[in-house]
Formats: sequence, structure tokens, C-alpha cells
Amino acid sequence: MIRVLKPFEYFEPNTVKEAIDILSRYGRKAKVFGGGTDLLVEMKRGKIAPQYVVYIKSIPGLDYIKYSQEEGLRIGALTTHATIADSHIIRDRFELLATACKKVGTPQVRNVGTIGGNICQGGPSQDTIPSLLVLNAMLKLVGPHSERLVPIDKFFIGPFQTAIDGVELITEIQIPALPAQSGGCYKWITKRTTADETLVGVAVLIVSDSTEGICKDIRIGLCSVAPTPFRARKAEELLREKKFESELLEEIVQAIDDEAIPRSRENYRRKMAKILTKRAIEEVWQRINYLKNINVDGK
Amino acid sequence: MKEQMVKFLVNGTTYEISIEPSMTLLEVLRDKLGLTGTKLSCGVGSCGVCTVLVDGKAVNSCLTLAITVKGRSILTIEGLVKGATLHPIQKAFIDHGAIQCGFCTPGMIMSAKALLDESPNPTRAEIEKAMEGNLCRCTGYVKISNAILAAAKALEEGEKQNG
Repeated sequence: MIRVLKPFEYFEPNTVKEAIDILSRYGRKAKVFGGGTDLLVEMKRGKIAPQYVVYIKSIPGLDYIKYSQEEGLRIGALTTHATIADSHIIRDRFELLATACKKVGTPQVRNVGTIGGNICQGGPSQDTIPSLLVLNAMLKLVGPHSERLVPIDKFFIGPFQTAIDGVELITEIQIPALPAQSGGCYKWITKRTTADETLVGVAVLIVSDSTEGICKDIRIGLCSVAPTPFRARKAEELLREKKFESELLEEIVQAIDDEAIPRSRENYRRKMAKILTKRAIEEVWQRINYLKNINVDGK
Repeated sequence: MKEQMVKFLVNGTTYEISIEPSMTLLEVLRDKLGLTGTKLSCGVGSCGVCTVLVDGKAVNSCLTLAITVKGRSILTIEGLVKGATLHPIQKAFIDHGAIQCGFCTPGMIMSAKALLDESPNPTRAEIEKAMEGNLCRCTGYVKISNAILAAAKALEEGEKQNG
């Protein structure tokens, strides 16, 4: 660990455009500094030594959580994990994302680390990504000449490689509103302690049909069991639009096993991916169907 | 990179000092302001011994560039003592055997303060979650949690007496 960082030129832009101009000017010699909980670690470990550091957390208007039925959930890219984990809006309607953000790092890291920065890190084992995958998140990317929306499941190309093209900043995460009979959860195991890197992470979202016990939609997102986080689409097809039957779960978790490509601790990760997926699906299915037969007058 | 004159508000006192942007808050506190109660260990935000409060939130000062917290309200362990009177959290740590070598203690106490300011009545499980960013090689953590539970009670008693 480097005790004293190598000196650099420091910028504190006031707008996204200013930040992009500076980053464009200095190219690969410049790094974006949001919460700094990934950037500074790499600098302290001597992996990188940027000559220019662009502090974007001072840009106003990028730290917010908004929700409406029409537009769904909009989260500013500079919103911290702590803010998301504590947000009533997100706990009420998108609880799995609050759970995932509460798992990230430690309280000190959650207080400064941003969701945008976490997504840009692009690592295989980041807790926020499986939930964002099953919530069908879209990322708003702003470049020097244009803006674009990228679905999160197209954002991760390889370990720590994202679809960011040249100089682009994530400014917003957009998540569609969920239908009434739906629910999700995020389950994980770590290497050792609670604050350790996640060894297997599984997020599940289910939409059920209230009358016939049909699973209208199921989405399964995993991290730490492949070079990038991913949606287990083959597994999802086994239950989507089908009547929920416990027997199907064995086939589903086998499909998870087939899609997983763990880099290390392979047997354990495969086993736990199957167990956590099964638990997650059962728990969500029971939870969203538990109340469906309650009569309005309480009988 | 040129040094800049920057104002810091630490433990209620304003300091105006010359810093480089590459300096961490931890360096500024220890080396420029002589506030050596906050410690350096891992230097990468894993162990928590460098924990201080910025606007009431616990952060790793080793991973905070000092220039980014100019003008913000910073609280370190030195800020908890009032004259010769220890803060109830400090007293509880002593009374409940939560200190052995003492190196993790300032960071532990700052994280505990952030927790109790926000959640005055935490359960043991909530304490363990809130303290998961502070490591201790000596104590095994149980007495630290005991101390925080006791401090919560003491603070509540203090509130009742003052209220």
C-alpha cells in the first residue's frame, strides 16, 4: 500500500459537460473520481497513477431517487449505496435493490460509494448488479456529443470491461415500475466475513398471475459465478408462463449450473448457486402469493 | 500540482492550511493538524481504524481526499472529550473491557457514535452490521458490542435527565 499518493492535477467541474470536456482533453491520463472507494484503492495499491483526477461528486443534480407509476424509478448516478439502502421508496417497491446496496462494502464505503461508480467498475462479483439485471435497469450514458440508453444486460463485456465508449459518464439509472403481484429478493454468501467479497449472489424477480398459480415472468440474475454478472435466461424459460410446480425447480437450478462458469472454488460456487436460486424462487413465490386470497372485509 | 490553501472544520475548530489535492484526510488530520488519535492501518478502506465522521456519517479517512471535504463538519476521536470528561461511549468501552491494545478503538468509537446518533436503541445484530467496517485483532468483538449497548443506555439516561 502506498502511504502517500503520487501528486496529480485535480479538477472539480460543476456540470457534466465540464467534466466530459476535461476527460476528453486528457484521455487515458485522467480518471473519474466519484466516491473514490474503488479509484483510490487502485491508486493506493499502485495499480494506476492518473495524472489528472476529475471529481464529479460536486456536480449538482445527480444524487436523487424519484418514483412515479408512469416513469418508474429513476436514480441519479451519484446516489450513494447508503442512501439507496435507506430509501423508503426503494425499500417499499424494489426491496431487493436496497438489500443489495446494504451488502456493498462496509458502512464507511456505503456512505460515500456511488451506484454509478459501482456499475462502472464492471467487476464480476458486485452485489448491486444481479438486482439491476432482474429489474431491467437502463443506464443513461452521456458523451461529448450525444446521450444514449443502454440496457444493463448489454453493459458488461468482460471482467472490469464495460460498454462505455470513449468518454462517457453514467448520469442516471432507470428502472420500470413493477406490476402488482410481483416481488424479488437477493441472496448471497461471502468468502468469510459479512463484509467480504460475495462468493455467489442471486437475485430473483417473479411476477405471478393471481388466479391460476402461473408464473407470468421470472428473472434470475447472478454474480460471481461467471466472468460477468448475467441473466440466466435458459433457466428462466423453464418457468416463465408456466404453472409453478416445485418439481420444476430441480430443472431450473440445473440450468443455472449449466450457465455458470466460475473461475475458482468451482464445486462450491456451483453448489451454492443452485441452492441460493432454489431458496430465492421459493421464498419470492410464497411471499407474493401468500396474501392473494384475503377478502377485503378481513374474513 | 500546486498546493492550495483550504479551510477545514474539525471538532468545531476552523483550520486554514496548505494542502496538495493528493493528500488524504487521514494525512491532513495526523500530519498537518497533529490529531493522531485517528490511525492508519490497511490504507485501503477495509479495516476502519481511520474512521472519522463527516457531517455525521462514518467514512474511511484514508480513502477520502482532504480537498473534497473542505468546509464540511469533521469529527474525530479528539472531538468527543469535553474538557476532562469522557464521552459515554468512551467510558463504556473502558468499563466493559472493549479495549486491549487500543489501536482499533478510535475507529470503533467513531463508528459507534455514528450508529447511536442515528439509531439510539440498536439491537446486537444491528450493532454488528453497523460495525462490520471496523476490524479488531484483539478482543473478539463481543465486549465491543456490550460496550455499545451499554453506551446506548447511558446516552438514553443522560437524555432523560437533561430532558
